[in-house]
Amino acid sequence: MLEVENLRVVYQEVISVLHGVSLKVRDGEITVLLGANGAGKTTMLRTICGLLPVYDGKIIEGNVLLDQTSLNRLDSSAIVKKYRITYVMEERPVFWYLTVEQNLKAAAFSRWDREVPPDIEKVMTIFPVLGSLRDTKAGYLSGGEQQMLTIGMALMTKPKILLLDEPSLGLAPLIVRELFSIIRGLNKQGLTIFLVEQNAHAALSVAARGYVIESGRIVLEGPAEELIKNKDVREFYLGAAMADQKRFREAKRYKRRKRWL
Amino acid sequence: MTFFLQSFFSGILSGLAYGLLGLGLVLIFRASEAFNFAVGEFLVLGAFLFYIFYFTWHLPFLVALPLGLGAAALFGALVERTTIKPLMGRPHLAMTIVTLGLANVLAGGLQATAGSDPYSFTLDLPDLTVELGTLIYPSPQIWAGILSLVFFCLVLLFLYRTRWGLVIQATSESQPKALCFGINAQFVLLLVWAIATVCIGAAGVVIANLGALSCQTSLVGLRAMPVILIGGLDSIPGALVGGLIVGVVEALTGAYVEPMGLIGFKEVIPYLVLLIALFIRPYGLFGTVRIERV
Repeated sequence: MLEVENLRVVYQEVISVLHGVSLKVRDGEITVLLGANGAGKTTMLRTICGLLPVYDGKIIEGNVLLDQTSLNRLDSSAIVKKYRITYVMEERPVFWYLTVEQNLKAAAFSRWDREVPPDIEKVMTIFPVLGSLRDTKAGYLSGGEQQMLTIGMALMTKPKILLLDEPSLGLAPLIVRELFSIIRGLNKQGLTIFLVEQNAHAALSVAARGYVIESGRIVLEGPAEELIKNKDVREFYLGAAMADQKRFREAKRYKRRKRWL
Repeated sequence: MTFFLQSFFSGILSGLAYGLLGLGLVLIFRASEAFNFAVGEFLVLGAFLFYIFYFTWHLPFLVALPLGLGAAALFGALVERTTIKPLMGRPHLAMTIVTLGLANVLAGGLQATAGSDPYSFTLDLPDLTVELGTLIYPSPQIWAGILSLVFFCLVLLFLYRTRWGLVIQATSESQPKALCFGINAQFVLLLVWAIATVCIGAAGVVIANLGALSCQTSLVGLRAMPVILIGGLDSIPGALVGGLIVGVVEALTGAYVEPMGLIGFKEVIPYLVLLIALFIRPYGLFGTVRIERV
């Protein structure tokens, strides 16, 4: 189980982003983290996988624990290699100037062994579209294809826990649906997934548990089916307007109620 | 015509050495996005390290060369660890400025240890002097071309045929992306700096072999700037082509323009060509055509 305990993170020593966040990602489940832009979702994932130093960020309090082992001081390659946590950045982090096949090979670098070529074939069967694009540079793929490649690359690292950062960003609704069915399929095969999303509906429909983060604090948590019914979640993330807010002009997008304390 | 061919091909031969020099800079630029202004000092240092093994300790060439370049690689790795790695995540300009400082420190250090007198530097290699009718290419020039080409090909093989090369390409594109797939970007950068220093050092050895070795040889490093700017800062074939262009232009100017009384014009002409090339293609001849998704 991946646990985050009372985490506080600052960037450049002063910009405080997470103010004491605690959450749990249970093994074999899909856990979703919802939040608006700038709420600290991406920072959360960067912290878990040890990428904070690259962005000049620092944990000033709290802990990231994987089965009671602290991951705080480890660097990202150790976390991927030893603890099998793979972070998939937002906006489809494929290597644009490498071909599809080279991308998959590069992603498998941390665990290079004889299994790599068969695993590449396996990824190609999960995502048949990649098979026909084997020698195309990844920069020329469409958004959907790039997202498939990204997930394929993440699978090449043989993760136990997959951290997905807004996989649905900028994709057509049909592709989003396909993507989420793939995510659900991977989860069925035993992969633990921590999903960060703005597309609340799609995310909550596949997830088991969910958290809502606002300005660096968790304001709501619970099983996904409860969250999907929650009035505030419906209003802010699922776009259901309240009776007295029918006019678009009056609907403040970032209206927030104080829900903590 | 023979006069033209004579200077043209000797330009090509020294151009190959410039290309190798450019390759070292391009590798560093692609991986760290820093321009290594200490290139001239790296070049002299590489040549001096080789000098120690070959001339001072009298080791055979085939032993001294790997040892000398290995020492250069260690030095490059050390520089990366001490000056570049602490700047990860900072603006790339910071690293470029660090290399400026490094250039001064190294220049001073070299001057202090080696003195400013030239050292005679003649490799004891088989005589490959080519005489074709009236054309004469002295052996050191031929060797400069051959060795440079061999090194260039070895680096290319490493870069495009091995999985280490693949992750170097990947890390060069984006460090955060590489890090999140578990590629140890710090180590890859270390490797890149080591390889680049080997390239620059090898270029230093062949260039010193054309004349003598002294601290002033570092001025040749300045020639690397037009080389990679003409070819494109981030392009590997560009480094070779840029090197050849600079070499040929320099040789032809030396042969045709300088006798007209413009002594030293040879040193200037690469920058003139650079200026023209940048007017026509601001990214350099082979600079990356950025993949744009519309």
